Amino acid sequence: MKRKKQITNKTIVMTAVIGSLIVMGTMITNMLWTSRQTAMATSEAVGAVSTFYLEAMADRRAKTITNLINSNFDHMQKAVDFIAGEDIDSQEELRDCLGEIKSLLGLNRFALVDEDNVVYTQYTTYTGGSRHTFLTDAALNSRIITTVSLYGSSKQLCLAIPTPDLVIMGKNFKACFVQVDIREIVELLAFDDRGRTHFALYAKNGGNLSGTRLGPVIQDDNLFESLKGVIPDDVWEDNYRNFELEKNGSLALELEGAEESLCYVPIRGTGWEMAVLIRDSVIQDQIRNVSERSLKTTRIQIIFTLVTVLILATILLYQLGAISRAKLEEEKETSRSFRDMANTDSMTGVRNKHAYTEAEKIINEQIGSGELRNLAVVVGDINGLKHVNDTLGHAAGDQLIRDACTLICEYFKHGAVYRIGGDEFVVLLEGTGYDSMLETIRALNRKVEDNIKEDAVVVSIGYASLNPDDRQLRDVFERADQMMYERKKELKAMGAQTR
Amino acid sequence: MRIISKKAGVLAATLATVLVFSSCAGVPAAGEHSENTSTTEIESTDSGSSDKGVAARSSESVDSAVDFEHELDEYEPHKDHYNFYFTYKTVHPWWDAVALGMEEAQRQFLDKGITITYEYMAPEGASAEDQTERLLAAAQKDYDVIGVDVADEEVISPVLDELIDEGTKVMTFSSSDASEDCKRIAYVGNTHNYQDGVDLTEALCKKLDYKGKVAILVGSVGAPCHEDRARGAKDTIAQYADMEIVAVEYDMDSVDLAYDLTLKILEDNPDLDGIVCCNMSNPVGAARAITEKESDAVIVGMDHDEEALKYLHDGVIYCLGVQDCYSIGYDTIQVAVKIADGNVPGALFPEKTDEITTVIYQEDAALMLELLYGDIL
Repeated sequence: MKRKKQITNKTIVMTAVIGSLIVMGTMITNMLWTSRQTAMATSEAVGAVSTFYLEAMADRRAKTITNLINSNFDHMQKAVDFIAGEDIDSQEELRDCLGEIKSLLGLNRFALVDEDNVVYTQYTTYTGGSRHTFLTDAALNSRIITTVSLYGSSKQLCLAIPTPDLVIMGKNFKACFVQVDIREIVELLAFDDRGRTHFALYAKNGGNLSGTRLGPVIQDDNLFESLKGVIPDDVWEDNYRNFELEKNGSLALELEGAEESLCYVPIRGTGWEMAVLIRDSVIQDQIRNVSERSLKTTRIQIIFTLVTVLILATILLYQLGAISRAKLEEEKETSRSFRDMANTDSMTGVRNKHAYTEAEKIINEQIGSGELRNLAVVVGDINGLKHVNDTLGHAAGDQLIRDACTLICEYFKHGAVYRIGGDEFVVLLEGTGYDSMLETIRALNRKVEDNIKEDAVVVSIGYASLNPDDRQLRDVFERADQMMYERKKELKAMGAQTR
Repeated sequence: MRIISKKAGVLAATLATVLVFSSCAGVPAAGEHSENTSTTEIESTDSGSSDKGVAARSSESVDSAVDFEHELDEYEPHKDHYNFYFTYKTVHPWWDAVALGMEEAQRQFLDKGITITYEYMAPEGASAEDQTERLLAAAQKDYDVIGVDVADEEVISPVLDELIDEGTKVMTFSSSDASEDCKRIAYVGNTHNYQDGVDLTEALCKKLDYKGKVAILVGSVGAPCHEDRARGAKDTIAQYADMEIVAVEYDMDSVDLAYDLTLKILEDNPDLDGIVCCNMSNPVGAARAITEKESDAVIVGMDHDEEALKYLHDGVIYCLGVQDCYSIGYDTIQVAVKIADGNVPGALFPEKTDEITTVIYQEDAALMLELLYGDIL
């Protein structure tokens, strides 16, 4: 029963430990596997994402410019309608009106052109036939988009609309046009980019219109001049043709081990191409950042779970241990109680016959091995117990037994007292008790003799010491028992009851 | 807001560096073939005006073929609004470049709170009669100053004197001044047209090893700048016994006419060795014809026409004299304001404000194209 309890406790502990290790191992393995899978998926996704991301970005920016152009065309038409409704009688009034509109629209140039190709702006009136290419056609029938880059001026987008019904100061006006600085368009486009990508506007020949840098290879130079020798000739020619035909496309560059993706889309009606370039490592970094954030969260969750499991396991183990210890103590106590009950005389509280038998076994082994040299056995028997039982009842007899036991214990303080029969006691003496045995017995005997006169408890004592010839305790006991009977006779002679 | 980008400034500085190094590399030995030592592979020239504040002669380093970086001087205008009238020879990109310089000055005055309005007008074809009509009409209006790029000095100079006598403030500008005895108040522009003709022709002669047949294309009849350059060309060729002028034609500032004239000259002179072009339209028309006829004739010419610069880049044109039109326009407005306030040439401005001309060659064409027109097609 005791052995079975110990195995159960160990099993619980082992199960808890092994279980925790398995849980932790599984979690760590799962985390590592997930990390590796994520890294592989990231690498595979970058290529696809680069192109998709850039195409979307280039397309969005191209649409922004298209919207800007359409918006300006709308504003121009409204402005022309407004001017047509004004009663303008002089050049000064016309200039004031043009100035107000230019200011309202926030443009570099807002101008009207009369039928003689004279251009009217807020501050100047000039013959513009050679300056504005869209005026080379005598008739202007539709909206026109051109790029202006004249004699070192900043590159500008010129938008013109016909004004067939506009008459001011008796003159017919053929066109209205505005010019938008391309740098302002670039600033508009750069607003939400935060420097993550490079972008630039190009003419059909690859000339940089925006003045923006397209990465370390191309910078702000002509796109195709920069790409010569950087990409294969056939790729170069394909992309050059795409520009000429106002088509979209993409290409990949590699410089000093860094891969870059470039996408371009045409901007409808302008002859421009919007090109966006990004280093693949930027996308990789972004995806990696997202992955790492996700993994970090997973790791935190795993660590939190592990810690929680560990804490719970520790608490559980502690509680199990406490319960086990309590149960063990309880069992030990019970065992001790049972053992005490088995070895204790219930009436007197001293060791009983069973205890004596166990002690006898041990002592016999010691005698057999020769390790026990000083041992004495005292045998005591109560005089007159039967008489008391018969005359005064068993309760008085029991009291006599307890009194006798008290008397014996009082004198043999350094000995082990056993009640081995109804009126029979044995005291085993070793050490101090052995050394003082004769004095103790003499004192007890004097007491007993006094008790005879006082009609108190009388105990007959016999004793014997271990002799070298003794083989077992019984040999010593018998000599002491013999002596006790002799003493009983002496006491009878003194007036004590014998039975 | 300035119209010229920083990039243009950088390019200008780069170009200047190229020009300086090229110039250093190309200076011929003194006394070799010509007394004129100013002809270099790349050079800038001006008239050597005696007035203070005028740009230095070509012996000094060339700062830039085109100076886009200008700031108004410390002069404080008397009024907050000026209204000018400018008229020039003909509608042509050359004067559009002048207009850009004018607009930059106008913007800078506006930043100082001074509004400048002006008309900048020209006929489709150069005409002294048309210019006379425009001037007389302008004189009837209340312009602060009238500026003229003289179409024909013999016709226009008396008209200007008449306007001055009537109290109108008149100045001349761009490439052609009035006659020496004209009463116009001041001139801003090229004062060294004769020397430009000399320098271009000298470059041609050297290229031809000082022998061969040469044609001269001139612009408008009577236009001082064109006539002066043609004179410089003739005088230079006259110095070399083995060189011969086989034709002198006027294209009236028309590219198409220059083309037709060149075809005719080539037809008459299949062994033509070179052409001196005295205006902006001459070299374009000549280059078209030379290309078409696959002639080996060497072309030297004036100005910065985009098509001409491309021909220069491709080696069809040998060299071009580029005038700083931008600075001409800018300085014209600045001088006009001072004249409007009643000032006369002296400490505030010279009687002739000179602007540089830079001769550029094939190796400089790409940079000049980028500088003036951007890299767009």
